[in-house]
Order: sequence, then structure tokens, then C-alpha cells
Amino acid sequence: MEQELIWGLPVVGYLFLAGMGAGALITSASMLLRSHGRSAFYRLARYGAIISLPLVGIGVFLLVFELGSFQAGHWFRWINLYKTINLSPMSIGSWLLLLYFFATAPYALTFILPGNGLNDKWKIWRDRLAYVSIALGISVAVYTGVLLGAMPARPLWNSPILAMLFLVSSISTGIAVVLFTDWLVKLLNWDWPARYFNWQNDKNEGYSDATYILAVTDTLLIGLELMVVFLFFMYAHLTVGHVEEAIKVFQLGGELAGPFWIGVVVIGLLIPGLIELIKVFPALIGNGQYVHGGITMLLVPILVITGGFLLRYVIVVGGQIARLAGI
Amino acid sequence: MLNRRDFLKAGAALAGTLGMTRVALAEPPRQLLMGGKDFSRRTGLEREMKPSACWQCVSRCPNVGYVEDGRLVKIEGQINSIRTLGKLCAKGQAGVNQPNDPDRILYPLRRTGKRGEGKWKKISWDEALTEITNYLNKLKDEGNPEKFMFHYGRMKASSSKIIKQFLAAYGTKTIGNHTSICEGGKWTAQEFTWGKHYDNWDFDNARFVLNFGSNLFEAHTNHVSTAQRLVNAINERGVRVVSFDVMLSNTVSKSGEWVPVKPGTDLAAVLAMCHVIMKEDLYLPHGEEFLKFCRVTENVNASMEEKVAALKAHLKDYTPEWAEQQSGVPADKLREIARAFALNYPAVVISYRGAVAHHNGHDCERAIQMLAAITGNIDVPGGRCRAVTPKWKYPHGYPNPPKARKLDVLDGFKGKVMFPTHHISHQVLDVIRDGSQGRPDLYMWYCYQPVYSNPQVQRNIDTLKDEKILPFTVSISPFYDESSALADIILPDATYTERWDWEDMVSPNQIPEYYMRQPLVEPPAEVRDFKDVCIEMAERMGFPLGYRSAKEFFRLSCEMTPSVKKAGGYDYMVKHGVYVDPDDKPLFYQFLKEPPASKLEGDEVLFDSDTGVYWNWKKAHAPGREEAAAKGYTHSKKAYKGYIGQKVGDKVYEAFKPDKINKTGYFELYSALMANKGLPAMPTWHQIPEHININPDEMILTTYKVNVQTHSRTQNCKWLTEIYYENPAWINPATAEQFGIEEGDDIRLTSGMGKIETRARVTPAVYPGIISISNHCGHWEYGRMASGKKTLFSIDDPDYARKWWSENGVHPNWIIPSSPDPVNGQQRWMDTVVKVEKV
Amino acid sequence: MRKNRNAETLTRSVGRRNGDQDAYEKSPSITEQQTLSRRNFLAGLGITVAAAGTATTTLGNTSKALTKKSNHQVQWAMVIDTRRCIGCHACTVACKSENDVPLGYSRSWVEYIEKGDFPNVDRSFLPRLCNQCSQPACVDVCPTGATYKRKEDGIVVVDDDICIGCKYCIQACPYDARYLNPITGTVDKCDFCLHRVTQGLEPSCVNTCEGRARIFGNVNDPASEVSKLLAQNSYTVLLKEMGTYPNVYYIDADHADPRDFLYKDRYIRVTTHRKEKLRR
Ligand SMILES: Nc1nc2c(c(=O)[nH]1)N[C@H]1C(S)=C(S)[C@@H](COP(=O)(O)OP(=O)(O)OC[C@H]3O[C@@H](n4cnc5c(=O)[nH]c(N)nc54)[C@H](O)[C@@H]3O)O[C@H]1N2
Ligand SMILES: Nc1nc2c(c(=O)[nH]1)N[C@H]1C(S)=C(S)[C@@H](COP(=O)(O)OP(=O)(O)OC[C@H]3O[C@@H](n4cnc5c(=O)[nH]c(N)nc54)[C@H](O)[C@@H]3O)O[C@H]1N2
Ligand code: SF4
Ligand code: SF4
Ligand code: SF4
Ligand code: SF4
Ligand code: SF4
Ligand SMILES: [Mo]
Repeated sequence: MEQELIWGLPVVGYLFLAGMGAGALITSASMLLRSHGRSAFYRLARYGAIISLPLVGIGVFLLVFELGSFQAGHWFRWINLYKTINLSPMSIGSWLLLLYFFATAPYALTFILPGNGLNDKWKIWRDRLAYVSIALGISVAVYTGVLLGAMPARPLWNSPILAMLFLVSSISTGIAVVLFTDWLVKLLNWDWPARYFNWQNDKNEGYSDATYILAVTDTLLIGLELMVVFLFFMYAHLTVGHVEEAIKVFQLGGELAGPFWIGVVVIGLLIPGLIELIKVFPALIGNGQYVHGGITMLLVPILVITGGFLLRYVIVVGGQIARLAGI
Repeated sequence: MLNRRDFLKAGAALAGTLGMTRVALAEPPRQLLMGGKDFSRRTGLEREMKPSACWQCVSRCPNVGYVEDGRLVKIEGQINSIRTLGKLCAKGQAGVNQPNDPDRILYPLRRTGKRGEGKWKKISWDEALTEITNYLNKLKDEGNPEKFMFHYGRMKASSSKIIKQFLAAYGTKTIGNHTSICEGGKWTAQEFTWGKHYDNWDFDNARFVLNFGSNLFEAHTNHVSTAQRLVNAINERGVRVVSFDVMLSNTVSKSGEWVPVKPGTDLAAVLAMCHVIMKEDLYLPHGEEFLKFCRVTENVNASMEEKVAALKAHLKDYTPEWAEQQSGVPADKLREIARAFALNYPAVVISYRGAVAHHNGHDCERAIQMLAAITGNIDVPGGRCRAVTPKWKYPHGYPNPPKARKLDVLDGFKGKVMFPTHHISHQVLDVIRDGSQGRPDLYMWYCYQPVYSNPQVQRNIDTLKDEKILPFTVSISPFYDESSALADIILPDATYTERWDWEDMVSPNQIPEYYMRQPLVEPPAEVRDFKDVCIEMAERMGFPLGYRSAKEFFRLSCEMTPSVKKAGGYDYMVKHGVYVDPDDKPLFYQFLKEPPASKLEGDEVLFDSDTGVYWNWKKAHAPGREEAAAKGYTHSKKAYKGYIGQKVGDKVYEAFKPDKINKTGYFELYSALMANKGLPAMPTWHQIPEHININPDEMILTTYKVNVQTHSRTQNCKWLTEIYYENPAWINPATAEQFGIEEGDDIRLTSGMGKIETRARVTPAVYPGIISISNHCGHWEYGRMASGKKTLFSIDDPDYARKWWSENGVHPNWIIPSSPDPVNGQQRWMDTVVKVEKV
Repeated sequence: MRKNRNAETLTRSVGRRNGDQDAYEKSPSITEQQTLSRRNFLAGLGITVAAAGTATTTLGNTSKALTKKSNHQVQWAMVIDTRRCIGCHACTVACKSENDVPLGYSRSWVEYIEKGDFPNVDRSFLPRLCNQCSQPACVDVCPTGATYKRKEDGIVVVDDDICIGCKYCIQACPYDARYLNPITGTVDKCDFCLHRVTQGLEPSCVNTCEGRARIFGNVNDPASEVSKLLAQNSYTVLLKEMGTYPNVYYIDADHADPRDFLYKDRYIRVTTHRKEKLRR
């Protein structure tokens, strides 16, 4: 690659983790709100709530780490972000993230604090915060796209549909990471937190429903994402000038054609999408039961998460090597 | 970056001085000041300013320097200079990098290992000078001071005077220069036509500019001054510029028209143009007027008819159609240009190394002089003029120097070259190696790269390394270059930003400008200006030069030079840097001046009837009047030194005073001196021998200069080398295809001198069949920026850690043979035929 | 186009918010500005808000300025007459030393555009620097207000006491005019030699320009040399479609580019003469 990247892996990681974190939060909230007392729903909701913060947190740290001021040793120069507010997506984004932490922390807390689970004394707060969380989750996910989308100088990014793409991908990776966590906890039969906070017995009520709902949603999301990717690509390809020039990075022979088509589209979307479709189809057309097994528990989430990362990677890198069509 | 806090400091600090500025900014000035002061970006405070002069190339433009915290931080143009009009080129701007080079040599060094092994130890100046002066005294006592050879590259103005006074006082005339690798051939050719060398081109008044192989928008010996005047001529007066070149230099790209020409064939094109002009009687009227002052035949008293007839006869066969065969330039094109040139009086024909660095370079420059002469464009406003420089007066050094002696190593191998009036520097090492014409015991060089700047690098290395051939070698340089690496002692010279000089470069508008160079910063560590070192050595050896430092020499010169003294002498120059005497008017038509009658009579004056020259046999050091009269002007040794005037018709003019050779006072299109040597008296075509049959796997190698580098000298300047750090070989796409070469390929060039491997740049901006490489890059020493190699003295520098390029180019001189123009000795840089293949 | 609408709405809303409009109309002199900025500086937080304000309000106003409605306002501008440019790089180097630009980075550089077929080949020169845009894409995206357009002279500056080095503005500038200074960790770019211009001196690149191809002045002063040149010549700006409204104007600029469809399969070589070998 002949140019230097202005934004490197840290920013890729940030966009990916923040998106996935937001997605996890949305998953958590929606699981909670439709749990109707079923502990499996509640458990998944808890996982989502608890992992969201660290995910976004790490992402934000990566962002700060990438700051020129930080690298030059002005560790706290980033505070300047909070000395002003303007219409810069990054300014709005920073404030948004602040809100996000303020809202998510108590929400997560309501899952952690000692109580009798489902219907403990935190329930009302938990439910109210769940609505807020959905709103914030979506905003953060969308913002990661707007951040890149705001610049005509980056024709590959400068597309309204990019935010949409990131939103869908965020939720899908969010679901994946929640399922993955569930699997991980099972694997390590990791029950000390439950004992420590004497969380109420983690029975498995409605587990298959919960996983079914997630699988179906994810299938739809992946379908949607494929659609969005298609539109993103085709419209860029069909227009003229800078954008048409820029999309060449993803076209055959383009610098990032491989990672984009194989990594993002095939590994990240088509394969997991197909697997899930096959899995949920019987239940979907009402003859048969959805069984949540090893593949959907582990393989799909891993594929989806990998795809989600590669998506951020090809977009961030591609947007910087895709150049304007003239001077 | 704007830093508010610092801005405030500035605001406060400058509160006093800024009264005007404040007003100005409330209502911003229409015309901002061009320069003359500078403010620190960091603190906002005004910087200390000193006027001085650039030395990054031979043009030596007046400049001003700014110092902050004792460090040179900024150099810009001298806005009061009538030459540069306040501009500087990139190299001049980057002069800041020279004193601040973290790889420069800071102490005198003595070799400890084998010669060239790179092992050195610091020594004190006292040790260094004791060793050198003892050696010099020994040579002198043994009666052969000439075995001390001093070889300089760039040495001008007061530097030249002081150092040469030291050498004279010591008694050696074995003093080499670099002129034959530079433009010596052009100078000799001019000495054969109009006497003195160095021409100036009056773009301010010209209506047409015709260029043969000058790259004045990138290079040229008076770059900033002439380049911007040509830009003005083109853009403000719509002057037409036609450039003959083998490649599309930036000069060519800005000239309206590129006439691509086969290397070494400009002579044919010029002769054809002269042919057209004479045949179509376009020499009328201006050419005819001037022909009166031209010698065109053996007979110096020939009539106009005879002159015209002689010219027409000589040029008869040089038809445009014939020239097209030789040069590849369409006949009609040649015709059209010739007519336009003659009809757009005044027009200036310019030429540089592209025209002269060839086997036929001598006659090419003479033919170009002819073209200017027959159109009456000599020494007239808008024409090709004899250079005007300020005339400094200066102390004369040691009062009674010994009769100096000289080794016969300066002019190449005996009898090989007819008129090496500027020596044959590129053969010095070969002649020494050969030994039959003597060898120096102490070989000392100054601002020169015997190894690198000359052809056939490897042989130069071998010779310089060989202690049997050269027992004792001393290099004087601020930087660890390839030649210094082969010295026994290195004396760290001050960079030009740390030196005193008066300067005297050619004026672009025929009005002399007096200017000077003063230290912008003090030399670091043990570094000393070599001029001061010479002065000390002279004192140590008992022949004091009569001034204690270069600074004092400058001060005395200011007092001795009438114009400068009138202006206020030393104090004025130090404060203002430049001075133009209001009484000095532009100097044109110098040849029309008539010597006072008094000068023409007296016992020491002789009239030479063969030539019509009045000359003073005493001034010419002839033994006696009778002998001188008998021998005659032409055949008396150095008679030209006594030249007084030329009889033209029934009048005597100062005309075209000879220099270096006994030519007449005429503008000689016909040279009896050449005729005597069996050479064609008038400019005559012959093809470059090597080019007569070129094999299909060969190309002609030409070299050139680029705007951001000077010779071997500026690659240590980070701001320049960042812009130009490698020198790919330019090849025309058609040629590249024949050779199966593609953009970026590694290619091998082979000549009798050896091989180099370099990178191909396939571009239509170069003539088919040639391969063109700049001579700047390819260092293997000279510090981190130039070669990537640290020197023994490298100091860490954060910016150097950011060096982002790894290629340093490949020097073409490895494979260019040393071959002089047979008439004047000019190194033929543009004639080499090389085998080219893809690696 | 979308861009400009953003800018407009942005102006209105923010303009109202900090009621900066009439303060701006008065267009205070530099010294007032300095004391003003002192107050801001001491105010610490105040400064950035003001800066953000400045940034956003000026956007709208200079776009007016560009349509010559507010002639009382100063907009420093540069006309680059490429017919006079000989590609000598004196400007590049002058800028490096004047502004201590670290090795590997550039506030200004000169691109060569070589195209054609032998013997009809041409090389033209395109000096580059920050355009001091009237609607600066960089300012739009700056989250801290560190980069803003000075109301008193329209120069776009970066306040390196505030800049956090997020590099968003580097991404947003269509002209690749910005770089992250590795020493300060903040972003740097051409500022029309603010420290010279505010002292009544020409920018350093202008002062040394061998061809007198760079002409500097107040584009809102009809009598200035730049205004006259623009009145008498046809001119262009770079990447007009980016909606940035540059204040660096080119006479006879060669906009040819290898990625330009017109130059498919034809010889064209653009040399940037800097670390970034390719144009943005
Ligand atoms: N930037 C810079 N400026 C310099 C110098 C420097 O090193 N760098 N050096 C200074 C010195 S000492 C000197 S002597 C001058 C030299 O100044 P110039 O002689 O003007 O410069 P060169 O590049 O040596 O050669 C000029 C041109 O000759 C062309 N040429 C080669 N062969 C032929 C030919 O057969 N016919 C024609 N018509 N053209 C041909 C080359 O392509 C080149 O463009 O520059 C001085 N100024
Ligand atoms: N192939 C090819 N070769 C060429 C040319 C070409 O066109 N083609 N051009 C030729 C021309 S025109 C010329 S004039 C010559 C020039 O060649 P040289 O006469 O060798 O002059 P430079 O290369 O300028 O400098 C020589 C050395 O002087 C030292 N030096 C630098 N600054 C100073 C200083 O301040 N004081 C002292 N004492 N030393 C210093 C440096 O070590 C530098 O390497 O090159 C010639 N070489
Ligand atoms: S032409 Fe450039 S390098 Fe040569 S003396 Fe002038 S400013 Fe210095
Ligand atoms: S050129 Fe780039 S950096 Fe300069 S003002 Fe315009 S957008 Fe901002
Ligand atoms: S890098 Fe500095 S100036 Fe640029 S957007 Fe970020 S904070 Fe603003
Ligand atoms: S105006 Fe100043 S900062 Fe801008 S390019 Fe010119 S010299 Fe550099
Ligand atoms: S200094 Fe002037 S002439 Fe030289 S490259 Fe820069 S703009 Fe062009
Ligand atoms: Mo030279």
C-alpha cells in the first residue's frame, strides 16, 4: 500500500468493539423486555448487559490510544473533547458515549447487584433502563457509521447507507457475542459470580425460545446486511466520479477485493446466514423444532464476529486508500 | 500551528515596535513587506538578521540569514539585490541545513588505519599545521615547491585571491581547478571569438530567445538572476523561447517549443541556421553593422563584400536539409527558427554545457557566437553580452614572492589537446598516475571531489589510494565525502554560512553589484575557514600575507575599492550586504570604446600590421622591441597581455580584447591561431566519433542537473534530498520497447570503464536512443541523508530518525570515460556510448 | 452540495446559540483578537467554545464574503499563476524552514504533471498548500474546535493547545493539506504564515517564489493584486465539487490526473515530490 493509513487498527478495533458492545446491549434489552419471567431470557439479557460496557470501554481506550496527543505523551488531552460541543460527529459521538456509560453502568448493575433475579427490587429500574439502552445502543451503532460517513473527501465512506450497514452489523455481532458468552460460561461452568452475588438459580426456562428468537433475528439481520452491502456496492459502482473510482478497492483486482468478498461477504455473511437459515427454517414454516446446538452456539457466532471485524477493517482501510478521481 | 500563549508573548514583547503593524492590521496593508525581517513562529519575536551571500551553487546570490538561540534557522533572499530581486532557489533556502548538518566534520583528522580504511583520530590544529608546514618547508628547501599541488573545485572571489596569494608566496604554480569538467570548453571557445570568457543574456530586452543546451530554469551559473528575468520576458512580454535539448528539462517545458535534438549535433543545426541567414541576406542590417568588427578571413582588412562572400562560401553546404540528416531536426523547422531569430532583433542565443560538453563542443560554441554575430546580437541590449562584474580592489599579499614553479600535470597528456586554456582537470590524476610529466608529493584539494565529480570514478579511487603515487594527501572540506575518505589529513572547513568574502558574480543586467558574505553563525567546535588557515600557515612559514584574517582582507578591500568606500566601506557592506554605484550604467557596446591616443604612442607600443593590433611589448614581457617587432604579435609568447587596441578601418578601438591567447581585437569568426594548428579556422561540422556507428544494444548517455541539487555537494541537505534522492535513468518509451525495458526495471549500463546498475524511468520526455541520468545522486559517503551511512562524527538528530527513503541513486561517473574535447580539453560528459540491458 | 447545506444549517443553529453574529460583523483588529484570545485562554474552557463558535459562524459568513457581500472583511488568499511557475521547489523548502516542518511532512509541495507522447510532451507544475477554504471540511469535523477559521482574516488555523490529534480533520481535508506533527502530537498545516502576515510580511513561500507565481493578498479588497488577477484571468480551484470554496486560486492550472477517465491508457505521470507518492 503506497499511502500511510491515518487511522489504523486501533480505530478499526474501536468501531468494531463499540458496535458489537452496542449490539450486545440492544440484544440484552430486547431479551429482557420479552423475557416474561423466563430465566433463560433473563440470563442472556444479563450477559449482554455485563459485556457491553467493557467492550465499548476497550474500544474507547483504543481510540484514545490512537490520538496523536496521547502518543506524544499528553495523556489527558482528550478531555478537550468534553470542553465543547459542536456538530462534529466525533464531538456528538463523544458526548453520546459518555451518556452511554452513564446509562449502561446502572443497567448492568441491576443485573449484578444481589437480589432474587427476575423479579427483584431492581426490576422497574432494569426495565426502564432497558428502553433507554435500546435507544443508546442504536445511536452508538449508527454513530460509528456517521463518523466515517461525514466526509466527501472519503468517497467510499461518504454514503448514507454506511451507518445503516454498521447498525445492522452491530446488532448481528451483538447477538453473536451474547450467544458466545453463554457458550463460554457453560463451557467453563463458570458459576462463582452467581454464587458470589447469590444470583437466583439460573434455570433454563425458555432457553430454546430465546435462542430461536435470536437465531431468527440474526438470520433476518444477515439477510438485511447482505442487502445493504449489495446496495452499498452497486450504487457506488453505478455512479460516476469519485465514488465510482473509490469503490474500485473492492472490485476484482482492487487492493481489498479478497478480504471484502471472501472475508466479509462469504465467511461473515453467506455461510453463517445459510447455516442459520437451514437451522431455523423448519420451525419458521411450522413443521419442526429449532435445536440450538454446537454449530449455532459456537461456529455461527465466531463467523459473524469475524465478519463484523473484517467489515470494519475493509471499510476503514479501504476508505483511506480509495482516492479521489482527480484534482 | 498557532499557539495562543506564545502569540501573547509576542504581542507584549513587540508592543513597542508594532505600532505601525497594529494599524496596518486593523486595516490590512495592500502591499505586505516582501522580506528583510522574519519572526519566530515559536515565540513571535523578531529574529536577528544579517546580510550575506549564498554559495550552494556557483551563482552566489546575495541572501540574508536569521539566527535564533545562536542557531541558523532561516535564509531568504536579499530584497535590495538588483541581481536576485530578493529571490532564492530551493538550494539557497536549504542552506540552513549546511551548518546544522549533524554529520559534518568538527575536528582536524589524521588517518590511523590504511589509506581509505576509514580509521581516524582527532588532532589539534597545531599538530595538523605543523605536520603540513614542515612537509611544505622540506619541499621548498629541496628546491621543488611545485611538488605541492593544490587542486580546487569551487573557489571564487576573495577566497580565490587569499588562497592563491598563499600559494604564490609559497612558490607553487601547480594549482589545479575543476573547469574542464565544468564549462571550460565554452570559455575557451569564447576566448577564441570575443576574447574574454563568460557571457550574459539580456532577457530584459530580448525579443526572442534561442537555447542550445542550457537548463537555466534548473541550473545555470547565474540561476536566480537570469531565470526570473526569463520568466518575466515570457509572461510579461510574450517573448518566444525555443529550446534545443535532448530531454524535456524544466527549462524546455517552460520554453514555448522543444526542439529534440540528437546528442552532439547542435553544431549542425546552428551552422544550418547561419547558412539560412547568410543565404537569405537576413544578416542585414544589424549583422552587417557588426561584421565590421568581425574577422572572417585571413586578411584582417577584408572589405564587407569579401567578409560576406567568405561567410556564404563557408556555409554554402550547411543546408537545413543536410542538418536534418545530422541532427534529426526537420529542415523547415531550422529554416523557420533561423528566420525568426534574425528578424526579431534584438534576439539572444544562449548555450551551455549541453552544447559544449562534446567532441565538437568548441566549434559548437564558436558557431553559436557566429549566429549571434551575423545577426548583430553581440554586446547589445537584448543580446548576448560580455559579462560585467564588480571590480574589487584588494591587498596583494606577501610583497616579494619567489619565482613560482609548476609541475606539468595540469593540461593533460603532452600535445594531446591544442588549447587547454582552462587546464584539463579531469586528467590530472591520470597524468600523475602515468608519472612521466612529474608527480606532486603533497596533493591537497579544496571544495573538490577528485574521486566523485570526475569521470571514471574507480580509476580516480585507485590513484588517490596509492601511497606510492601520492605520498601525502590533504582534503579540506566540512563534510566527509568520498575523496576526503581517501585523504591522510582532513582539515574541517567552515561552511559558507560561517565565512567572510567579498563577492563578484556576473550581473544579469550589465550593472555591477558589489556584495559580500559574512558569517551568519560562528563555526562549531574546531572548524575554521580555510582562508584563515592559509593566512596562519603563511605566517608560520615566514611569508606573512599582510592581513591577519579573511575578515580583515574583506575590510581592507572595502577601503581600497572606490565605489564601496564611497558607499561607506566596511560598515555599510556589513549592514546592507549589497551595493550598486549609482554612477554605474548598464555596460553595452564595450567594443566601441577607443583607447586614448596617448596609449598608442611611445617606445613600448608596437603596431602589428598582419593583425592590425596595437600592443605593448613591455607589458607582454617581450625581451626587447626589435625582437618583439620581428616575431610579431601573433607569435610572441603572451603578447595578448600587452594588447592595447585593434585598428578597424582607419580607427582604433578597444574592440574585443584577447585573454589567454594572441587573437586579434576582432570578433574572430575566423581564427588564424586555429588555422596555424591545422584546425578549421571557421566553425566546421564534424560528428562525434563514437556516434558514427552505434550498435543496436547501445545508447548515448547524457547527464544533467536538477533544480534541487548541486553536484556532489548538497545531498547532505535534508530538505533537498527529501525532494530528490535518487536519479533514475530516463529512457524514451520507443527505445525502452526495443530493449524490453519497462518502468522501474533494474537495468545494467556497461562502458569501457565498467558497469552500473540503476533504475529505468520510461518517459517520452527524452530523445529516443539516449539514456539520461543526473549526476547528483549515488553517494557512498557524505552522511546519512546522502548515502544512509553515518560518519564517525554523526550526532543524533530526531529529524534524521525520520528519514523515509532508502534509495540513494547511482552515480553515472563510474562508467563515463575521461575524454577531453581535442581543441579545448572540455570533458565530454554527453558523448559516452553505453551498452544497456535489463538485469 | 450536501456538504454546503450542512454548513448553512450548522451556521444558523450555532450562530444563534452563542449569538456571535454581531461580534463578528465588527471584525475586530488583531490586537483586540489577541486580548480576546487571552481572556479565552485564561478562561480555559471558554476558549474552545468561542473557537467552536468562530469556526462555525465564519463558515456562513465567508461564504457570503466569497460572493463579495462583506467587503469590509479580510480574506487572505493566494493566486498561483502556474504560467509563471518553473517548478523550482523554493517555496517548498522556504516553508519547511519558516515553519520547522519535520522531515517526511509538508505544508507545501510542488507536483509535476508530465503527459503526452514524444515529441509532444509537456510538463506542468502545481504548487500545493492549504486552501484556507471558506467552508473548510476540516473545521466541520473538528470535535474540539482546535481548528477554526479566523474571522479577522479568514485563515484556517490549528490551536495546538487544544488539538487532541484525533486526525479527523486530516481525513476530512480533500486536499491532503494536513499532517500529524510527530513532535507535538497535534495536527499542522499551512496557515498562510500567520506569524509573518500578522506582522505585515508576505508568506515565506511567496517571498522566495522564483517565478513570482505565488501572489498573496486580500481577496475581498477589489484593489488588491489578487483581486485584479482574478478579475482579469480565468481561474480554477482544486476539487471544486468538494464544496470547500478554496481561497487558493490557480491560473492556468493543469488538473490532469491519472485517475481521471480522460487519461485512461495515455501517458501521464504525476510526481508529488513528497513522502505521499500519490494524491489524495
Ligand atoms: N541546481 C543546480 N544548479 C547549478 C549547478 C548544479 O549542480 N545544480 N551547477 C552549476 C554549475 S557549476 C554549472 S557549470 C551550471 C551548468 O548549467 P547547465 O549547463 O545549464 O546545466 P546542465 O544540466 O549541466 O546541462 C544543460 C542541459 O544540457 C542538455 N544536453 C545534454 N546533451 C545535449 C546535447 O547534445 N544538445 C543539447 N542541446 N542539450 C544537451 C541536458 O539535457 C541539460 O538539460 O549550473 C550551475 N547551477
Ligand atoms: N556526469 C557529470 N559529472 C559532472 C557534471 C555533469 O554535468 N555531469 N557537472 C560538472 C560540473 S559543471 C562541475 S562544476 C563539477 C563540480 O564538482 P566539484 O568541483 O567536485 O564541486 P562540488 O561537487 O560542488 O563539491 C565538491 C566537494 O566540496 C566539498 N564541500 C562542500 N562545501 C564545502 C565548503 O564549504 N568548503 C570546502 N572546502 N569544501 C566543501 C564537499 O565535500 C563536496 O563533495 O562537477 C562536474 N561533474
Ligand atoms: S542559485 Fe540558488 S543555490 Fe545558487 S547561489 Fe543562488 S540561491 Fe544559492
Ligand atoms: S484545504 Fe483542507 S485543511 Fe485547508 S482549509 Fe481546506 S479543508 Fe481545511
Ligand atoms: S486533530 Fe486536532 S484539529 Fe484535527 S480534528 Fe482532531 S482535534 Fe481538531
Ligand atoms: S504560506 Fe507559509 S505556511 Fe503556507 S505554504 Fe507558504 S510558507 Fe508554507
Ligand atoms: S517557488 Fe514559485 S516558481 Fe518555484 S515552484 Fe514554487 S511556485 Fe513555482
Ligand atoms: Mo560547473
